[in-house]
Amino acid sequence: MERSAENDRPRIRVLGLGNEILADDAFGILAAREVERLFPRQVEVVCSSAAGFNLMDHVLGASHLVVVDTIVTGARPGTIHVCGADRFRTAPGVAPHFLGLFEVLAVARHLHLAVPAETTVIAVEASDCATIGGGMHPDVRSAITGVVDLVRQFLANGDPG
Amino acid sequence: MEITRTVTIEPVTRLEGHGRIEIFLDSQGSVERAYFQVPELRGFEKFAQGRPAEDMPQITSRICGVCPTAHHMASTKALDALYQVTPPPAARKIRELVYSAFFVEDHALHFYFLGGPDFVVGPQAPASERNVLGVIAKVGIETGRKVIAMRRKLRELMALAAGKAAHPVFGLPGGVSKPLTVEDAARFREVADEAVDFACFTMDVFEKIVLGNSGYVNLILSDTFTHRTYYMGLVDENNHVNFYDGAIRVVAPDGHQWARFEPGEFLNHVAEHTEPWTYMKFCYLKELGWKGFSEGEDSGVYSVAPLARLNVADGMATPLAHQAYLKFHGTLGGRPVHHTLANHWARVVEMLYAAERMRELANDPELTDPTVRVLPTAIPCEGVGVVEAPRGTLVHHYRTDPRGIITGANLIVATQNNAARISMSVEKAAKKLITGGQVPDGILNMVEMAFRAYDPCLGCATHSLPGSMPLSVQVRDAAGAPLVVLRRDSHGTVRRE
Repeated sequence: MERSAENDRPRIRVLGLGNEILADDAFGILAAREVERLFPRQVEVVCSSAAGFNLMDHVLGASHLVVVDTIVTGARPGTIHVCGADRFRTAPGVAPHFLGLFEVLAVARHLHLAVPAETTVIAVEASDCATIGGGMHPDVRSAITGVVDLVRQFLANGDPG
Repeated sequence: MEITRTVTIEPVTRLEGHGRIEIFLDSQGSVERAYFQVPELRGFEKFAQGRPAEDMPQITSRICGVCPTAHHMASTKALDALYQVTPPPAARKIRELVYSAFFVEDHALHFYFLGGPDFVVGPQAPASERNVLGVIAKVGIETGRKVIAMRRKLRELMALAAGKAAHPVFGLPGGVSKPLTVEDAARFREVADEAVDFACFTMDVFEKIVLGNSGYVNLILSDTFTHRTYYMGLVDENNHVNFYDGAIRVVAPDGHQWARFEPGEFLNHVAEHTEPWTYMKFCYLKELGWKGFSEGEDSGVYSVAPLARLNVADGMATPLAHQAYLKFHGTLGGRPVHHTLANHWARVVEMLYAAERMRELANDPELTDPTVRVLPTAIPCEGVGVVEAPRGTLVHHYRTDPRGIITGANLIVATQNNAARISMSVEKAAKKLITGGQVPDGILNMVEMAFRAYDPCLGCATHSLPGSMPLSVQVRDAAGAPLVVLRRDSHGTVRRE
């Protein structure tokens, strides 16, 4: 990604979501840390175990937001899903009381707050996110490399594919 | 009576974990029983065993992505009890100050954004407007920005005093990790004044939009959302509401004080009932016993959370909140109020108290005293810590060996205290709506409203993104085959498949 003066530099934030003590739910945090280790100067990395509206603190102020989290769709554990945030249904539809990342983004946009121009979601299929102290599924753990490759690609051409 | 059909609504919301509602129909197609259940996190006890007790405030605050501050505080207080140590006055005040800021923030979030679609937008509004953007449209963008700005300031303060806003790290047995500077206290005073103004503003919003609408008031008072149960909550020495500390008071359905005991005695008074269909344990008053999902003087079912706290207390400890408390009970027919939806109003009364209490503490000269820790010297064995979480009474109970290594850990969370009554509320709402096997679309709204008033935490914090449609109702026949599925489509309208 082209950079000009320090102030104009796009702020690319990788937001790793999850919970380190909750089996596969640790994935987002571990993957984001690996991204931070490999690309310390190119991205700003934020790790969070917060849920719901508490995510507001983490989505504002970046020009590009890359969210790394787990997902449960029934696919094979470790499968990587990549899509724009617009692919997820947000507040206007579905459930009136559902407040997650996308609803938080919708609210922030509605209130004219500093939302990212672009949000990309990298979601990895989890097998267990409910056992405190549980281990990670080996195929989920292996997907960290895949996430790193996607971020590398994104930094190179602004598109994670 | 033979149960022939099952209606399943799942998950009720994704915010605080997955929840699920199951409605069993009888052979006439009427509601036989309805249950509210949560998929519980597994393995906590095993994970805790063998770890130093001092790790518990950090570990337990990780369990929930929504109310980590409440777990951190209950856990820290359990360590005080475990090591038999009383924190110095400044430490106690710093803890309560942070906790008060947390309450203002959390209650504001619920009132505007989570409960708002029911009451600010309204139960009869089109489905496409009954969401958080509908709330903003109704209260105005400026108000929406005001809520976000207030929240941000409160969270900055919490980070200042507690290390992190999201997962506080300041609680230690016998005190807190650092004193508050004079500059920090000044910042707290400034924001506390704003918080009081903000809470008064919120009360105005509530009064104009909700109390000014007879339809809403009638709904609050309606039989569908009414249960005569016992209530439980923490009170101070004057029997006023307190979130951080005090004695546990229980009032009977007729309002008389039924019990008042120290937090350490909690487990002598409360037992847990299990059902074969859920991991969830249903708390009840041990002396009265488990009489099923029933209300009245003879049933051990009780309730916690804002309405319960206002029911157990003789008043509020701060002036503006006390006025609001009097108006609340005056308008709703006197104490105790048995109308579940009054939880939303009680929450605003409590928000005002939290803001005023924050202001009192921020102006207390003792707050900046540098002595914030009494080092524990006793040999640990067992400790119980109790706080009022925004969603109700929260209990942490630890046992250790003499080195302070955890041998047993048990948490009783607010939603567990409320579990029996939540199931009863869901059942009552379902009974009103389902007759002769007809399942109307409106069932989604009404049943959700019944449990949402409690602000339940549904099995804490897994963060996985939603993989499928968050809400559906399934009706099954006697053989378990689905007869009809109700879903909300992407425009918020209900479709039958």
